[in-house]
Amino acid sequence: MVGSPVLFVAIPLLAAFLIPLMGMIWKEFVRIIPGLVLAYMLVLSVSLIIYIQSHGTIVEVISGWGPPVGINLVFSPFSGALTTLMTFLGLLVWLYSHKFKRNVDYEPAKKYFILLMLMVTGSVGMVLTGDLFNMFVFIEIVSISGYGLTSFFVRRDSAEAAFKFLLMGAFASSFLLIGIMIIYTQLGTLNMAEIAQRMPQMDYHMKVFSLIFILVAIGVEAETFPLNGWAPDVYTQAPGPISAAMSGIVVKAAVYANIRIIYTMYDLQGAYEYLLIIGLITFIVAETAALKQERLKRMLAYSSIGQMGLAMIAFGIGTKEGVYAALFLMFSHAIIKSLLFFSGSYLVYNKTSKYIKHVNGMGKYLPITAFLFTLGAFAIIGLPPFMGFWSKLALLSAAADSNLVILVAVILVVSIVEAVYYLRVVNRIFFFKKRANTKPEKPTINAMIAMLSLAAIVLVIGFYPDLVTGLIERAADDLMDKGRYIGEILSKN
Amino acid sequence: MEKYLDILEIAIYGSAVALILIGLYGALTKKSLIKIVLGLSIMDSGIHLMMIALGYLKGGTAPIFSKGFENSADQMVDPIPQALVLTAIVIGFGVTAVALSLVIRLYRHHDTLRIDEIKNLKW
Amino acid sequence: MNVIFLILILFLVGAIVTAFAGKWSSLLQDGLFILAVTIPAVLFFTQVEMNQLVGWTRGGIHLELGLTPFSYFFAILVLLLGVASAIYSVGFMHGKARKSYYYFNYLLTIMAMLGILFSRDFISFFVFWEIMTWASYLMVVMNGTRTQEIGIKYFVFSAIGAYAMLMAIVLIHAQTGNFLIQDFIDTYPSLAHGRQILIPILLLVGFSVKAAVMPLHVWAPGSYAYSPMSFTSVFSGALSKMGIYGMVIVFVTLLSHLPEGGLIRDIIAWMGAMTAVIATLWAIAQDDARKLLAYSSVGQLGYIVIAVAIGTPMAMLAGLFMAFMHGLFKGALFMVVGAVEKQTGTTDFTKVTGLIRKMPWTFLTALISIIALAGIPPLGGFIGKWMLYESLILSDHYLLVIVAFFSSTAAFLYAYKFLFGFFLGQEEEEWADVKEAPITMLIPMLALAVGSILLGAFPQLILKPINNGLISLGFSDSYGKLWETSTLFNEWGDKVVLQPIIYAIMGVFLTTLAFTYFRNRKRTRYVSTKDISTSGEIPLAHENLTFKENFFQPFLRAVEPVMKKQIDWYYREFGAGLEAIFNFTRRIYSGNGQTYALYAVIFLIVLLLLNGNLFGQ
Repeated sequence: MVGSPVLFVAIPLLAAFLIPLMGMIWKEFVRIIPGLVLAYMLVLSVSLIIYIQSHGTIVEVISGWGPPVGINLVFSPFSGALTTLMTFLGLLVWLYSHKFKRNVDYEPAKKYFILLMLMVTGSVGMVLTGDLFNMFVFIEIVSISGYGLTSFFVRRDSAEAAFKFLLMGAFASSFLLIGIMIIYTQLGTLNMAEIAQRMPQMDYHMKVFSLIFILVAIGVEAETFPLNGWAPDVYTQAPGPISAAMSGIVVKAAVYANIRIIYTMYDLQGAYEYLLIIGLITFIVAETAALKQERLKRMLAYSSIGQMGLAMIAFGIGTKEGVYAALFLMFSHAIIKSLLFFSGSYLVYNKTSKYIKHVNGMGKYLPITAFLFTLGAFAIIGLPPFMGFWSKLALLSAAADSNLVILVAVILVVSIVEAVYYLRVVNRIFFFKKRANTKPEKPTINAMIAMLSLAAIVLVIGFYPDLVTGLIERAADDLMDKGRYIGEILSKN
Repeated sequence: MEKYLDILEIAIYGSAVALILIGLYGALTKKSLIKIVLGLSIMDSGIHLMMIALGYLKGGTAPIFSKGFENSADQMVDPIPQALVLTAIVIGFGVTAVALSLVIRLYRHHDTLRIDEIKNLKW
Repeated sequence: MNVIFLILILFLVGAIVTAFAGKWSSLLQDGLFILAVTIPAVLFFTQVEMNQLVGWTRGGIHLELGLTPFSYFFAILVLLLGVASAIYSVGFMHGKARKSYYYFNYLLTIMAMLGILFSRDFISFFVFWEIMTWASYLMVVMNGTRTQEIGIKYFVFSAIGAYAMLMAIVLIHAQTGNFLIQDFIDTYPSLAHGRQILIPILLLVGFSVKAAVMPLHVWAPGSYAYSPMSFTSVFSGALSKMGIYGMVIVFVTLLSHLPEGGLIRDIIAWMGAMTAVIATLWAIAQDDARKLLAYSSVGQLGYIVIAVAIGTPMAMLAGLFMAFMHGLFKGALFMVVGAVEKQTGTTDFTKVTGLIRKMPWTFLTALISIIALAGIPPLGGFIGKWMLYESLILSDHYLLVIVAFFSSTAAFLYAYKFLFGFFLGQEEEEWADVKEAPITMLIPMLALAVGSILLGAFPQLILKPINNGLISLGFSDSYGKLWETSTLFNEWGDKVVLQPIIYAIMGVFLTTLAFTYFRNRKRTRYVSTKDISTSGEIPLAHENLTFKENFFQPFLRAVEPVMKKQIDWYYREFGAGLEAIFNFTRRIYSGNGQTYALYAVIFLIVLLLLNGNLFGQ
């Protein structure tokens, strides 16, 4: 084995604390260390993915206390695939924000990268952990670093967004604690595998209560419908790369937690229907709300929420095809939405309000950035031959296979709304006259590399989806096979 | 002794629930940012109290293996909720600190502490 | 590598290379562009073998490409127009902005159309269909005028169509377990009745959008009129025929197994007829040549839809023949408009008049194409129309005959208006310096016009591929020559009826033309249109002697009630209503953080109250 899953948590955490110390030695360390750490994590997760293909899931026991007593980290095909995705996006976010705006100064850069490291730690931890309370801790790490990063720009309304996020986050953490508490008093354990094993013994009402509390709590981070009021504000106010990281890393981790809990821990059929219905409402409300937005990043935020709704619908279908589609959607959304946030940030650069009308005519001044944004828009609408098409096809096909004809129709109709608002922006970029008071800002070379590599993925996967479908299929198998998950962890004792 | 413990238990649970409700009330109805943060804190305390109470074993001892208590694991109170609560308190402290610092920035930016007047971001 | 694959790759590589070549040299770019169209076209006609499948697997989905005799016929049209319009484009786009953009999208569109025709599975079909849609969308918005209105309308309707199709495709997958077209056709008769009805209807909705059938046609006039004319000739000439292609396949392979199939066919035929009538009326009312032709395209597609929906062998033959003819003459006519636009800068009849002597070759193209459009013998348009009427009468659709006849007669009005508007009428000083279009634009135009003449004399040239295609779809005839069912091609003695008639008309026509030309060559004296002295009054320079405004006013006044409210209006109101509702839903996000927290708590409480019902065991 090339390394242990513990490193995914330990190294970025260590780096977060080392950054200010190393910064005293040489200021550039502040910017270099996160990149090195994230690159290492990416290499590590890729090599672990290869390793588990022949050796099976890695269950890492912390400090010698085997499950169910101690905390354990699980690197399975599912959590491993997500970890790889997250570290990859983390690396691109680092690359993009290497010299981003305020980051040219030492002090803001220090804070920014410390918080970014903590955010990555938390997200990866959420995905890897096999312990419910541990998950709570990681969620809090993510949230608190999220509050900090949201309020990074002092002059915007960022504090307002961060406060809303915090308010929701605080409620969520209280609910989550209550949920965990109910489970603990009923089953006497916090290990997720053991909870899953003992779940049938639990009193039905207690089971439902605990599930509701946990779902509402994690639903806040996963942007499900009535709980996502914070999301558009945060996406609008956070720095561009952080918006990308939020939608690509944090939300994905929260959805993972949501799914792990419903699929593995609980045995309630109704939970799937809950996912389906709430996902559908989230999707419809978000996409329709996005239509008349005046600010670019807010529009992207609603679109992001809508896509998460789609992923939830797919999980709610409950078949293996549904899970496959959901994972594919999560993957393609993470890549495409990051591309959109990255390029969109430069299209409305230096505008604190980020109005959509400021992209007018940018196609002439920032041709490559505009082209990449268009590529992202086409991909997220689901136009072939780009990546988004394959994931949408997988979703629709899964829904049709389960005989959910109405669902297919609704998703398609709402997708038209999505197409309209994206194309309106694209038309503005290329065919409108530039407004007199907008100043185009050339992307830095780092940002360009980050955007181009995302665009390359969008194109390559679009033409050759087989590169990822195998991985996603294994992850879907892993999630569906609850017995194996329990067995693998508990046999570690 | 037993009777007092029963009453104590009811009192603890009751006050935990009361704290949660007070906190909820404060956080959801008060317009002042400071009061909302206070409400959140109170709600957190209530939950912590409840967790401790749930792990309590009537007449149990502290969960420490020491001389004379080597074989009395079943008479100890459950140590895990206590550990959890310690963690949760630390987290709650962190959240409150961040919240208050945000409140300061909001006040500087908007010159008000009323949450319904801080609505630059909407729709 | 299989040659089908090679053709598609060549287009794609050609598109990318051409787009970037503009950075070095404009001439190189033009050359590459022509090559990028012609090389695959040559490869197609020389190397591709019929019914040879090439399959591979992508993302766990088995895909197959191959050429059938039926798609071969459409491929001829696509490549013919594709090459002609490509040569024309070089002249047309010369010195215009966004040339690389144009070339890229042009090549992608042609590639996508060929891809559609090659597809033997639904996923490739859909992928190419969507590439075609967005590439042509990018063309529609290219001029930058009214992009948010025309462009979005085009995309929304395309999306409605495409998503209806996608829904059908995933339903098919749920039934057969794969995406192969042939597998679905084989299992179709054994499906549940509900699915048997739903799937063809969804597919037909998808195809009707591209074929611009009545309630779904509103995108077409704007999109045809506002994309560059050189592209519109492909857009209206070939791209819209993709809808016809799909419709024919659905009619023949699916609906023939369905008891309700006849009803659905009749409905579609009537929708086609309504399209033909209304669009023709609107075409008459237009003062802009681009819009006139755009509406006319919609109307002509209406006829084609009638024919393929009726679905007797002769009607199919008529429909497909008309589809091909429409490609030829409408392609040429859009090129004519493009040439006029290029030389004068406008396409408004009320502004441009009397170009006949300035642009004689353009006029000749327009004349031939208009004759073909109006369906006057001896040109190819006549044969298609004859067969259409004949098949309608033989299949007892008398009402449809009347409607079709009405609109085809009304079409004479706009045909005349087009010809008169640009070329005849008074010569204005403003256009005194107008030159004939460059040679790269003239050659493809004239080539298409010659095509119209040629198909009038030798319709078998294209009837044979159509015939082979239809037979491969399952039509059968004892002779293997379906067109011989028509009286036009009846044996008369040992000669086919048609040929003598055509040759006679052509002979008379050509002799008269030659006679008048040679007789009058010496005596001709060119005069200004103002050089008249009726009643001793000499007109002033600015005085207008020909009518160019309020053309056909009495006629339009007569049909006004029909045209009062466009379907377009209802869609606009509907769209505006939806936007208003959506604007309201976003107010859920009130901006007050406390409200959001309240939502969370209420949501929690609602879930807790519902618990038993929501999470039933």
